[in-house]
Amino acid sequence: MFKKSHPLQSKSEIILRNIVVTAMVVFFTVFLIIPIGIAFAGSFHEWNPLSGTYKFLGLKNYIDVFTSELFWTSMLNTLIFSVVVIIFRVGLGLGIAYAIYSPLVKHKSFFRAVYYMPVVTPMVAVAFVWKFMYNPQIGTINQIFGLDINWLMNPKTALLAVMIMTIWKDFGYAVVMYMAGLYSLPTEALEAAKVDGATAWQTFRYITLPLLKPMTLFVVITSIISYIQAYVQILIMTEGGPGTTTYLASYIIYDEAFVKYNFGYASALSFVLFVITAIFTGLSFRVSGSKE
Amino acid sequence: MKRKISKVALYAILILLGIVTVYPFVWMVFSSFKQNREIMALEQHLLPQSFIVDNYINMNNRFNFLRFFGNSLVVTLTITVLVVYTSTICGFVLSKYKFKGRNLLFGFVLATMMIPWCVTIIPKYTMIQEFGWMDSYKALIIPAMFSGFGIFNMKQHISTLPDEILEAARIDGANEFYIFHRIVFPMAKNGISSIAIFQFLWAWEDYLWPYLVINTKEKQLLAVGLKMFNGQYSTDYGALFAATAISIIPVLIIYLIFQKQFIAGIASSAVKG
Repeated sequence: MFKKSHPLQSKSEIILRNIVVTAMVVFFTVFLIIPIGIAFAGSFHEWNPLSGTYKFLGLKNYIDVFTSELFWTSMLNTLIFSVVVIIFRVGLGLGIAYAIYSPLVKHKSFFRAVYYMPVVTPMVAVAFVWKFMYNPQIGTINQIFGLDINWLMNPKTALLAVMIMTIWKDFGYAVVMYMAGLYSLPTEALEAAKVDGATAWQTFRYITLPLLKPMTLFVVITSIISYIQAYVQILIMTEGGPGTTTYLASYIIYDEAFVKYNFGYASALSFVLFVITAIFTGLSFRVSGSKE
Repeated sequence: MKRKISKVALYAILILLGIVTVYPFVWMVFSSFKQNREIMALEQHLLPQSFIVDNYINMNNRFNFLRFFGNSLVVTLTITVLVVYTSTICGFVLSKYKFKGRNLLFGFVLATMMIPWCVTIIPKYTMIQEFGWMDSYKALIIPAMFSGFGIFNMKQHISTLPDEILEAARIDGANEFYIFHRIVFPMAKNGISSIAIFQFLWAWEDYLWPYLVINTKEKQLLAVGLKMFNGQYSTDYGALFAATAISIIPVLIIYLIFQKQFIAGIASSAVKG
């Protein structure tokens, strides 16, 4: 048998490659690059499809974004929402994963499967279930805890209520991630600690936790990116209210674009969020890249 | 003794959290079999005192949820099949062929995953109007045909398949189309099943896009139908519970059947990436 000195490309390889590469490039050009271009151009215009307006405004949309009180309220809400939900997501995820990982616990895949259930269920439907649970007339939460709170209508509790629902829906993802992380830890390090007489807490604090740092980073970054884009639970449960207490950044975009049809303003806002997302993504690559 | 106490404590915590996790689903399902009178009663019981199925019948008479359900199933399955195919073939070309610009193209595919939905949705909406695709399933299916996430994951997966098998087939005279469809595709089964599951779920729960591009009520999908139903019959709680239940239960069934692939799928993408 002779060996080819160059990996000779067959005719069918070239045909297949050309079809696939062309299809990919065409698809992403039409449904991604061109739309980004249109949105970017649109963000400098007064753009309303209902009245047919498309008028150049320069930077006015961006100035309006940064001088709008609602924008800053929503950024603050998004910040509170993200920080609280992420702390609980990571804390619960790590704690539960570590509990399941314990040799004392059997039925590991059963528990993992249960906690992951809310992650897979559709957000629209789950948000409705929670909206009913918070309902002061028919809801089960006030019943169980003997409370009398109109959770979603009270400015003090509305954002909290949405955060609780989001934590419930999302913590299972962190459980599965941390379990994968725990099972891929190098056993030598853990055994060495045992030989040296480290307590369970010391092993966890000084060995397991630092080794899980890349996983924590991954969970935190993907969470930030997804909470900057979260709006469905707001749309279903509160529509931003009461007042503006539950306006999240992406919900304003939905509201401006498809309720008020201010396409230009909504596009400017989208690019602001895009930049924020890109900064966080870039940061994550730098932090995780510098580790290796 | 100490071991026993910690074991009981661990189980207590895990079971308690398990109950918190499952309770909303259980409450929803039981409530969907209750009469409205009972749902709104001052004193509430988790189990229905008188078990009725009228809510499901009422819901369907008023809103034809079976229709929405069928529409969602057709659209979601079509998108899933297409995305599985395009992701696998793109993943194959990107991982097994060497050509100029390959890394650039792959980097580009990665970059597509970082673009928030809000940046492209307005122009895509205006484009669909100009294409004359409004109110047709083309608008739902064609813009979803390729997935950056799918291509990325299939590329990672297929690059672990041994080159020798492909070379052996080439020496036997197989062309690349045969190799892809008959050798790579079946061998990439695990990667494919996790892409399929995720894509199915995402397409199934998508709300905004079908809400924007589908106008005819009969063509609408389940997530949008559920929200419309809530808008119109906001006080018929029994029917609302039934409508919510049929949006969630099929997904939970699929999840329970495939949960191993599911969990393996997400966990592996994270450990590698």
